Amino acid sequence: MNQAQVTKLVSKLRIKVAPEPRRLRNPKGPEGRLDKLRKTVTGLIKFERIELNFNRADEARQYAERLISEAIVHGDCHKPTMEIADYWLLEKELIHKLFKVLVPRYENCNTAFTKMYRAPRPLYSRNIEKAVLELRGNPYPSLINKQYSNRHLIQNVLLDAAKYDYRQAKYAEMADKIGKTENQELNKLSKKDEITTE
Amino acid sequence: MKLPLTQFLQLNLRQSNIKGFTSIRCLSTQEAIERRHHLFTLEKKRQLENVGRIEKIEVRYKGIPKDCTLVMNKDISTPYDCARHFSEWHMESSALALIDGSMYWDMHRPLTESCTLEFQTFNISEPQQVNKAFWRTCSFMLGACATVAFKDKVTVKLHSFPGPDIRSGSFIYDVDLPTLPDWKPTPQEMHTLSAEYVKLTRQNDLIERLEVGQELALEMFVDNEHKTKQIPDIARTNGKVTLYKVGKHVDISKGPMISSSGQIGKVFVSAVHKLLGSPESDLKQLYRFQGVALPTGVILNHFAFSILTERAKKLNSARSPINPFVDTRESVEPQSMQAHA
Repeated sequence: MNQAQVTKLVSKLRIKVAPEPRRLRNPKGPEGRLDKLRKTVTGLIKFERIELNFNRADEARQYAERLISEAIVHGDCHKPTMEIADYWLLEKELIHKLFKVLVPRYENCNTAFTKMYRAPRPLYSRNIEKAVLELRGNPYPSLINKQYSNRHLIQNVLLDAAKYDYRQAKYAEMADKIGKTENQELNKLSKKDEITTE
Repeated sequence: MKLPLTQFLQLNLRQSNIKGFTSIRCLSTQEAIERRHHLFTLEKKRQLENVGRIEKIEVRYKGIPKDCTLVMNKDISTPYDCARHFSEWHMESSALALIDGSMYWDMHRPLTESCTLEFQTFNISEPQQVNKAFWRTCSFMLGACATVAFKDKVTVKLHSFPGPDIRSGSFIYDVDLPTLPDWKPTPQEMHTLSAEYVKLTRQNDLIERLEVGQELALEMFVDNEHKTKQIPDIARTNGKVTLYKVGKHVDISKGPMISSSGQIGKVFVSAVHKLLGSPESDLKQLYRFQGVALPTGVILNHFAFSILTERAKKLNSARSPINPFVDTRESVEPQSMQAHA
């Protein structure tokens, strides 16, 4: 077993990677597939949030993650990494963005660098799954409302009040029951007293 | 129906000289709405023309996408106009404006001086004031819904609605239905009311604000004796009455209110309860319309919403305007009395 462990050579991605690559069928074959993915990765690094078909998004996401993690591990003075960046980023000014902006942003990140959401599909069209792919820490407003647990939100205020109401009703019921049983016991005792006195 | 203002005044004067308001009462509900809407638009136009020479103010905006300064027109531009400079998202999602970090301002109320501006949506971290404005608007819209929902032969006289109390579980409007002394709405009728409400919200009308003098307010609500009684009290402080308009419905409210009726999402008119007046009050009974609503974009599980609707069906314990000394929670009281005994 002299073989080196692969996990030590290549950094592990923090996303789920499918066992087989998708083929992303197109007339130019595997080369065309890579062209498509390069376009998508370039777009993602450039715009930081893109909406596209789910398959292509999921496939491109893996390459983008790999590219960023290589850049973080080796830095901009490593020739093979530079070549990889040069290959994947079609617009060359984005190479600077990768090393100068994204590497500092994700250096201490212990989650994945990208996020993917399932996007709504247009009605009455071809039924293709859509996704939104974005870089973490982008400047846009968040797509999902993270504050749903804020107790001042109107739905939470209403539910809180309903809960309080329900509890009060239950307490009143319990108190009522206890009162009744006490009364019954008192009645029994008084009856016993009557019997004994007789 | 579109008569100029002067003609209305003449008409009114002549009638009040002869036999009081009797013939004004013959206005059908629909005509009264049209008339009020007409007067509102005339007054709004007049106030805009009165601004005269246009002066500029500086509005320093804070928030997404970035802080910046806008140069707007004094007494003409509203926070909504500022939102239009940014994006459709700002226009649709902003419910209230926060002026100078402390004053809550309607989206459609003209700005009077240079200030800082922030937009308040429903999912900010401190949404209490926005929620109150939302609840108030829901009550106001319930009044609009009640006026349009009935047939022409039923006279609907809106009475008033109390300040927003969200924890009570329902927003309310007290309505006087003099021709229906003993009405118990069927479930079908309640569904119809909810449907009418949804129709109003789908129209997505902007909620306009206007301050008018006492005389004009009295003139606008001449067909509604409850409102005409309330107006002098409201106008006592500064002689002004604040009116709000959605679609063609005009009502009195202190405000502030949210930006448009489209911001009301899920809505359910839950119950209509009868309120009985005290023996000495001249008004014998009112109907309390109750409902519950959530803003657009709030997603709530249908089970959770059903809990809210069930709760909203109970009589709201807010003070009755015609019988202030009786607690409206009579039905609950005996049980708890037993519990304490």
